[in-house]
Amino acid sequence: MLADYLKRGVAAGLVAGVAYGLYIVLVASPLLGAVHGLGGGHDSDHAHGGEAGHGHAHEAGGAHGHEHAEAVSETTAAIVSAGSGVLWAILLAGTFAIAYYLFEPALPGDVVGKALTLAAAGFFSVSLLPWLVLPPMVPGAEASLGIDARLATYAGLVAAGALASGLSLAGYRRLAAGGRYRAIALASLPIAVVVIAAATLAPSIVTQPAIAGDLVTAVQGATVLSQAALWACLAGCFAWFHRRAGNAGTDRLETDAASLPTA
Amino acid sequence: MTVAESDTVRNRVRIAQETMTPGQLAALLAFGAAIAFALVFVQEPLVHDSLHDFRHAAGITCH
Repeated sequence: MLADYLKRGVAAGLVAGVAYGLYIVLVASPLLGAVHGLGGGHDSDHAHGGEAGHGHAHEAGGAHGHEHAEAVSETTAAIVSAGSGVLWAILLAGTFAIAYYLFEPALPGDVVGKALTLAAAGFFSVSLLPWLVLPPMVPGAEASLGIDARLATYAGLVAAGALASGLSLAGYRRLAAGGRYRAIALASLPIAVVVIAAATLAPSIVTQPAIAGDLVTAVQGATVLSQAALWACLAGCFAWFHRRAGNAGTDRLETDAASLPTA
Repeated sequence: MTVAESDTVRNRVRIAQETMTPGQLAALLAFGAAIAFALVFVQEPLVHDSLHDFRHAAGITCH
């Protein structure tokens, strides 16, 4: 039963992961490479505001490419990054499938509606809310907190996002009978509260001294959109696999439930 | 079959607990833990730099 869901999740993750891996190779890697170039203080053709006078902190006025001693070549980095993009999608989709199995009865709508609701909750908790405090780091970013403190902050924000999503969902279920729009409005309150709290209360931890603001916004925008697309894609694929397995799945659920000792 | 009555989140947890062996549950947890660890927490320079583009593309916090 759960294994069936997980299987569909991993399959959906593979499909979404191939698309996402291609995105990393074809779009993200070249984009990040170009930004790295700008932050490194060369390639003046593309530099506008950010570059003049702002070299990479540890790379005073280098005349050519990556002096920023990296442990591996760019090709290796691109291949491994694409592979880990696929793994990332499989991880998200696998976790998504397990959560879908557990929360399927509590999610609103049909298969697609349930899958997209859960994906939205996942994207909000795993990415969107943490990014309000720790925005996606563009190469050259500097953080005022150490890595351990940032990982702890990140974990805390994921938990807060999951909690808010859960409250919101529970609220919607409770209020749905009294009118759909009112229920949606009231159910979005917990989300609004954590978003406003994260956006206003948190100090800014990450700064981008080396890169122009517009470019930072563009790279962050690409990150946000690509993660949103990844979630939408894996939810869509999962819903498709799930619906295709449709009747079989329900039969299995009934068999599993029937095989339980009656409580 | 009274799906409407019995299909609750609590029931799903119960079904999972009672139809899966502890070994399967452990494998499930390990699956999540292993990939999360590999992707997010590995700070070894060789691995970390290989994942460079991916981490930036995914907006993962560590750098």
